[in-house]
Amino acid sequence: MKVLSNLMIKQFIVLTMCMILVCIAGDLSANKGLEIAILSDKNNDGFIDSSSTMTMNLINKRGDVVTRKLRFKRLEVPTDGDKSIAIFESPRDVKGVAILSYAHKVEADDQWLYLPALKRVKRIASKNKSGPFLGSEFSFEDFSFQEVEKYEYLYLDEEIYLNNPCYVIERKPLDPYSGYTKQLVWIDKENYLVQKIHHFDRKSFHLKTQLFKDYRKYDGFFWQPHEIEMINHQNGKKSILIFDDVKLKSGFTDRDFSQNSLKRSR
Amino acid sequence: MPKSPLMICILFSQLIVGEIIGELSFDNRYFFNAGLQEQKKNHTSFSFSPEIFKDDSNKIFHFKAKLRKDSEDSGRDLNDIQELYLINILEDKEIKFGVSKEFWGVTETSHRVDIINQTDFTEGFDGEEKLGQPMIKISLERQWGLLDIYTLLGFRERNFSGNKGRLRLPLSINEKGPLYSSSSKNKRADFAIRWSNYYDDFDIAISHFSGTSREPRFLPSANKINELVPIYEVIDQTGLEIQYLLDGLAIKGEVISRSGQGERFSAATYGFEYTQVGVLQTRIDLGWVVEFNHDDRLESSPFVLGTRFSFNDIYDSQILSGFIVNDKSKELGFLLEASRRIGECCMLSLEGIYFDDTDEDNGQKKLFQAFKDDDFLRAEFIYYL
Repeated sequence: MKVLSNLMIKQFIVLTMCMILVCIAGDLSANKGLEIAILSDKNNDGFIDSSSTMTMNLINKRGDVVTRKLRFKRLEVPTDGDKSIAIFESPRDVKGVAILSYAHKVEADDQWLYLPALKRVKRIASKNKSGPFLGSEFSFEDFSFQEVEKYEYLYLDEEIYLNNPCYVIERKPLDPYSGYTKQLVWIDKENYLVQKIHHFDRKSFHLKTQLFKDYRKYDGFFWQPHEIEMINHQNGKKSILIFDDVKLKSGFTDRDFSQNSLKRSR
Repeated sequence: MPKSPLMICILFSQLIVGEIIGELSFDNRYFFNAGLQEQKKNHTSFSFSPEIFKDDSNKIFHFKAKLRKDSEDSGRDLNDIQELYLINILEDKEIKFGVSKEFWGVTETSHRVDIINQTDFTEGFDGEEKLGQPMIKISLERQWGLLDIYTLLGFRERNFSGNKGRLRLPLSINEKGPLYSSSSKNKRADFAIRWSNYYDDFDIAISHFSGTSREPRFLPSANKINELVPIYEVIDQTGLEIQYLLDGLAIKGEVISRSGQGERFSAATYGFEYTQVGVLQTRIDLGWVVEFNHDDRLESSPFVLGTRFSFNDIYDSQILSGFIVNDKSKELGFLLEASRRIGECCMLSLEGIYFDDTDEDNGQKKLFQAFKDDDFLRAEFIYYL
């Protein structure tokens, strides 16, 4: 009887230690995931402002291509999420339509839409972020800035992706209105740049793959991918976003990112 | 060598002025019945809107004109300068000088507060189309919000469908000889001011307008039977706009109080807007608008339900529907509109409007009585230059 109870105690101790180890390991991998995300996010700190043109190619299953053009401006807000404006250039019927976004670290972003035909600035519910952006495979959510605080992280593995040693981390959006349940993110070990994201939809199906290509360095520190590709595995379509005329420090101020400034955008 | 002098002009002005764009539209309305005043069933119109835009970071120039020619109704012909202004952005303020359009408001189906511009009533009866207004506008953007101060120079009269036009009132309107309560008539300088700000998910704007009413009242003509003369009185109108975002739901309302047209009255539109993203596991978004109306001048309070299916495809296909129910008279109006892009250059929209049988007399004043034979189908094709 005594032997048996001794054995049980031993088993109990071993089991407890195992559980503690698993917990610590879990905690460690959560911490390591978060650390990598923070380092990746810190990459572009101090860019002050940026502007670029964007060409979006929407490609269907048959390979037919239609093109959309936008202008994009962004202002760094050190204490909160960044401010940005996207102005549509083509197709012609949406020329001058603009979207102003104030990203926030934790709470929902603020967004306004400008409709030049009506000369109207309309506040929009940023909760509707899982819908497609301009008919593309990108959602509004994919376009917003992915503040570190908006996710929960888990470190998974190391993996070579296109000859780059990468960390693979899993992140889960904390926002219940996100269109994704989780994302797997490949971040390279050398520069902490996001190389690839697998997006899992609400049914935990691997819906989309996002590839970041042609990173170029500006002002000695600011990394800009010049091509972002989004492949939808469900409908076989893909969208390719090409960035050109990237400029830093144009001297934008808060006034260039106000609701009033939207009315001047066209 | 360029062949036409016009090409040279366009190339030349492009160098100086900046970007030149424009749109050409062809619009055909087919009415199922002849009009109450025996107007024709088929009405066609063409319009052309050239536009020039130049942005020199702190100076902006914008020009837009709208020319329209109607096959039946000369009352729908239009030559209007919609925009011809210069914006000067200074250290602490922004000054807009010239002809422009300014929108005030938050609601979708009717606009109570919006008052800077005259409405082009011949374009559509939603009142969304406006005429250009000469103005000097000073905008101050501060911590406490945005303040717009307007001096409105000169008055634009409302345009109405002519005698041969559809969707007109049973009596003809004397547009040539409108009456004014001000001795300076349409030369009176009007003033307006609007403050707006937002606090988290709450938006607010308060405005005041003092000047010639954009909305006329009508007097029977002294010279001609069956004719109405518009009278434009000097009014004071205070407006309030609020909107609150509650998750995906936008709750909104506009209210005005106006004096100067008989007894002081108030009017309001309020309701909500909600979008269901990706309905039934598709890419399609379904937007809902529910709005209620109140107007001290009317007995009834019409209610509007609108839906919009956005297909989120490369053609930007949309189907819009709207029901208007007039609570007291039991009248019903229904609108269905489908639109999509064609290629990269063009848009096509098809629209149908139906007014429910309004013959039944329940002793209530009817809003659509004059339009009871005006159910129509409309096709519009726009080519962007």
